[in-house]
Amino acid sequence: MSLTDALFAAFSIPFMGRALLVMLVLAVVAGVVGVLVNLRGLEFISDGLTHAVFPGLAIGLVVGGTAGLVPGATIAALAGAVALTWLDRAGITADAAIAIVLTATFSIGVIVVSKSDDYTGALEALLFGRVLTIPPGEVVPLVVVSLIALAATAVTLKQQLFRAFDARGSRAAGNSPLTLDLVLNASIALVVVAAASTIGTLLVLALLIVPGAVARLTTRRLWWLFPIAALFAAVGSWLGLAAGFALSVGAGVDLPAGATIVGVFVVGYALVLLGSFAAGRIRAGLDTRPPSSGATRPTVVPSSGAPTRSAVGAAGEGR
Amino acid sequence: MGYFERALLAAVVIGAGAGFVGALVVLRRRTFFAQALTHGTYPGAVAAAALGVSVPAGAAAASVILVAVMAGIARIRQQGAQVAAGIVLTGGFAAGALLQAMIPGLPVQAESLLVGSILTVSDADIALAAAVALIAFIAVAFVGKEIAFSTFDPAGFRAAGYREWPVDLLVLALTAATVVSALPAVGAILAIALIAAPAAGARLVVGSFRGVLLAAPVIGAASGVIGVLASRAYAVAAGPAIALAATAFFLLALGISKVRGLPWKRVDIPVETAEDARIA
Repeated sequence: MSLTDALFAAFSIPFMGRALLVMLVLAVVAGVVGVLVNLRGLEFISDGLTHAVFPGLAIGLVVGGTAGLVPGATIAALAGAVALTWLDRAGITADAAIAIVLTATFSIGVIVVSKSDDYTGALEALLFGRVLTIPPGEVVPLVVVSLIALAATAVTLKQQLFRAFDARGSRAAGNSPLTLDLVLNASIALVVVAAASTIGTLLVLALLIVPGAVARLTTRRLWWLFPIAALFAAVGSWLGLAAGFALSVGAGVDLPAGATIVGVFVVGYALVLLGSFAAGRIRAGLDTRPPSSGATRPTVVPSSGAPTRSAVGAAGEGR
Repeated sequence: MGYFERALLAAVVIGAGAGFVGALVVLRRRTFFAQALTHGTYPGAVAAAALGVSVPAGAAAASVILVAVMAGIARIRQQGAQVAAGIVLTGGFAAGALLQAMIPGLPVQAESLLVGSILTVSDADIALAAAVALIAFIAVAFVGKEIAFSTFDPAGFRAAGYREWPVDLLVLALTAATVVSALPAVGAILAIALIAAPAAGARLVVGSFRGVLLAAPVIGAASGVIGVLASRAYAVAAGPAIALAATAFFLLALGISKVRGLPWKRVDIPVETAEDARIA
């Protein structure tokens, strides 16, 4: 099989084309939401949501078969988003509480699945996804769910950014932190729903975290973060699907598509990380001025530009 | 000793050990880190099963690599600890799934690594868990004071002339060892329940560092026993039952602390005007 076959011709097969369409929509949405996840430091909450969706998927599968997956997951995800927003605001040591919520919901899901007939097959399909076997009737609901998440984020994007960088200022300016948190967590939850039934609950987190992290590594301009994250996610999904197809058909190794996509994401992240590290070294070698003068160069960071992570964290603690 | 008694013994030993180390993890706020470790050790376990060496050894080797990777990513300015944990977590899972797909005819099934199978633990697994718990106990007995100092006042700890990395490294090693030893019982996904829930519950009702260190293992062991018994009574998987028992203890503790926080004794709110204060 030639390279172009794997990269382009493979997607003329209906199930590959469907997978690519769903993954591209997901990638763009997850890229945009993922940047906010990164800026707000919500990685662990996202992880909690991915696990919280699991019992919804399991119950939906038991009650309504495959058609019950998306509704079940949506209900569970929105309930999880509300619960996690509340836990976060109640000030219970956040990360331990999230860990408990996520394992509890996950356990319920496993017990529900274990009561069904095809235990092993169902569990693996839910955990590692079935991007290549999405039925045609499910494409539209998945795309709609993703687009709702994108719309909710896009409408509040400016306020979300304000809140990420200056929580107190945002509150003082009259934005309700509760509403913003709920909207963002619900958007994350909807992305998780759409992604969970394609690449699996365990791998959704990669879709949310890796593109945002890559964008943070490559640019310091705030508005470039979103297109870069979306682009990285889209290209990663495309290459992942193509690689999975090439290896499965060409080399006869039966790779799970979801895991292959995530593998490509992580490898891409590692490459960008190495690249930025090398670029930083080269720049440091060329730049003989003391670091203090470098920090005040006006062109590097616009006034609304990305501050360091610690600054975001410090602002977050002021809530 | 029948398989059921052995499962109960394993539940007590692993629950107590995970609860004890979990107290350190929760108080030092390293839960997400521990979570990443539990997920990331999955490819190590798969690889070990494929190579025919012991699963805990493979998981331990994977955890050493993961800790190094996480420490490296966390030092980069735009990235930070949460990103590091998230990437290691999903990357580990994907690697495990890929490995499993590439190696056909693996003797171990995926879901027994993911959600555990306490009914099939071996004596070696129990011995390993007991050894880890014992080492953790000895470590805390000797350097518990330093751990408490660095946990509750990192700035003061540094200012007093101590260095932070030995304590960090010790807690990291204990966490990784606990995760590895808990894998046979509750699996890669649910191990975090035994680590986080007992300690978080204990912390809500007990006020002192020593108290949490004592209460968390008891809660952990009790969760293990209740989970195994419930698993037999209701014919559900043991790992999730243990995790749910630990969650129930946490909810109980949450309820107790909320009830305790209610204003039972009516105390007069001191009303003092600025005028009164100036005169007095």
